[in-house]
Amino acid sequence: MGLNRHMDTIAVIGVGSTPYARDLQSSHLALGLEAAVNAIRDAGIDKQQVDGICGSGMTPLAQGGAGFLSLQGSLGIDRVTWGLNSWLGSAFVHGAGAVAAGLCDTMLVVQTYQREISMSRSAAADPYRQKLQQFIEVGSDIGGGDFAKRWLHSGEPYAAWMRRYMHDYGVNKDAFAYMAMNNRSHGSRNPAAAMQVPITLDDYHNSRMIWEPMQMLDMDVPVDCAEAHIITTAERARDLDVKPVYIHAMSLGGTRIGEFYENSLGWTENSHWAAAQGLWDRSEIRLPDVDVFYPYDGYTIDAVGCVEAVGYCQPGECGEFLKSSWDDAGNILKLNGKTQVTTHGGGLALGRAGGANFYSEAVRQLRGNEGARQVEGAKTALINIGSFFHDPSAVMLRAD
Amino acid sequence: MPGNYGPLDDAHVFELYPDIQLSRDNIEHYRGLAQGRLLINRCHDCHHWIYPHRPMCPECWSWNVKPEEISGQGHIFMFTLLYQLRDPKSMIHEPVPVAAVELMEQKGLRYLSRIVDCAPEDITHDMPVRLTWLEEGDHLWPAFAPMPGSTG
Repeated sequence: MGLNRHMDTIAVIGVGSTPYARDLQSSHLALGLEAAVNAIRDAGIDKQQVDGICGSGMTPLAQGGAGFLSLQGSLGIDRVTWGLNSWLGSAFVHGAGAVAAGLCDTMLVVQTYQREISMSRSAAADPYRQKLQQFIEVGSDIGGGDFAKRWLHSGEPYAAWMRRYMHDYGVNKDAFAYMAMNNRSHGSRNPAAAMQVPITLDDYHNSRMIWEPMQMLDMDVPVDCAEAHIITTAERARDLDVKPVYIHAMSLGGTRIGEFYENSLGWTENSHWAAAQGLWDRSEIRLPDVDVFYPYDGYTIDAVGCVEAVGYCQPGECGEFLKSSWDDAGNILKLNGKTQVTTHGGGLALGRAGGANFYSEAVRQLRGNEGARQVEGAKTALINIGSFFHDPSAVMLRAD
Repeated sequence: MPGNYGPLDDAHVFELYPDIQLSRDNIEHYRGLAQGRLLINRCHDCHHWIYPHRPMCPECWSWNVKPEEISGQGHIFMFTLLYQLRDPKSMIHEPVPVAAVELMEQKGLRYLSRIVDCAPEDITHDMPVRLTWLEEGDHLWPAFAPMPGSTG
C-alpha cells in the first residue's frame, strides 16, 4: 500500500454528542463546546493534551460559531500546533491527516449544526436564527441577484440529479424510498433521534413535494446539534483506558465541476466516485469485509450515489439492489444479506449534522457498546460523507 | 464583436448589479446582460468555451480569454421544479422551473436559467430550447423557451 503511509496508525479515542432537537436555544459555540467536553471526557484525557483543533464552518475566522479559535479560547486549551475549520466529510479527514502528518498528537474535531431560517417557518421567526443568517451571508452573493448563480452551493441540483438519474437508467424512486425507510427504521430504535416514527413506502411517496422530484422525506431533518471526535496516534491510544478504533484508510475527493453545480459531470463522475476510488487505492479491507456502512444522507440521492460509488452495485441499479437487500423482519437494509446501513438513523432520522454523526455512530459500533442497537461482531465500518460537488470523504475504520 | 459595449462604463455596471460580486473576471458578462447579450468567456487560442467566468483557459492555460456572444440555442440537461423556495416567507402558487441548459456551443457548457413559455409539466430532459429575455424593472435577464416545433 504505497499510497497509504498511515494504515491503522491513527485512532479515534473519543466521541461526544449533544442532544438532537429542533430548538436547543443554543449558539453554535455552545453546541460545539458541549460536544467537545463530552468527547474529551469520553477519551479520558486532560484538555491540555489537545494540540490540534478542527473547528466547524467554511471560513477560517467565522465569528459566533464553533471555529477553532473560539473553541480553543472557550475550552482553555493553552497551546496547539494546528488549527483549521472544515465541514462535511472533510473535517474528520483533515483532523486525522494532521495527526498522521505529525503536525499534532491529539486532535479535537468539532462540527455544529443549527436549524436555519431557510429550513422552516418557525426557524425563520426566531430572532437569534435571523441574526445568525445575517452574518453567515456576509461576503457572499449566493442566491442573490442573478438567477444563474442559484446553484452555487445549492441543494436544488440534487433534485435535478434525481430526475436525470431516473431518466438515464429508466428507474423509479425505489432507491431513494428504501434508503429513507431504512434510516427512519433505525431512527425509531435510537432514543436520541429527532424522528422516532418509522415510515412506509406510502408515507415516502405521499410526503410533501419540495423540489420535484425531491420530497420532504428525501431530505435530512434540520435540528440543533453538534458532534466531536478525539483522534490520536494508535501508539498513544494503547496507553489510554479506551478501546481504540483505528483509521485503516481514508480519502477525500474532487472533480473539475467547480462551484457552479449545473456543470456537473456524469453521474459516475461526481466527487463521491473520486473519494471512493481514493479509498480503494489505499485500503486492504475490501467491500465484502465491511460490517457496517454509513452513506451520507443529506438527501437520499447522496446515499444512493455513495452505495454505487463504493461498488455495492452498478450505476443505476441501486433501487433493485436495495429492494433485494430489504430485511422484512427488521424493516431495515441488510446489504447482501449482511451489512447494516446507517444504524443510528443518519440525517433523515437522528438529524442533520453534515454527516458528523455517521463517524460517531461508526466508532461507537466498533467499540461494541451500543447496547440494544449493537450490530453483533461489527469490526469494520465504511463511511462516505459529503457533497456530490465538494468535501466528500471515504473512510475505513476498524477495531481489533 | 466583443469589446464594443457602447456607453456602459464600469461604474454603471456596478450601479446596475449591487447584489452581484462583480470582479474583473465577470464584469464583461454583466455588461453584456445589461445590453441583452449573453456573453460567455472563450479561449482565443484553443477556442474552448469557459464557464463560469474565469480568466484562464482550463484546457490550454492561455490567458487570451475573451467574452463572446453565444447563439442562444441549447437543450435542457437537467431541471427541477421548485414547490418551496429557500425563503419560507416567500409563497409560491405554482412550481418554478430551474434548468441547467446545455448550450450548443460545447458539450458540458451549461447555463442555469428560468424556463418560460412552457408549462412546468411539459418540460423534459434533452428538450431543445432557445434564449429569450425577461424584463424585470431596470434589468434584462436571460431565460430559455422551447424551440418552436418542440414540445412545450
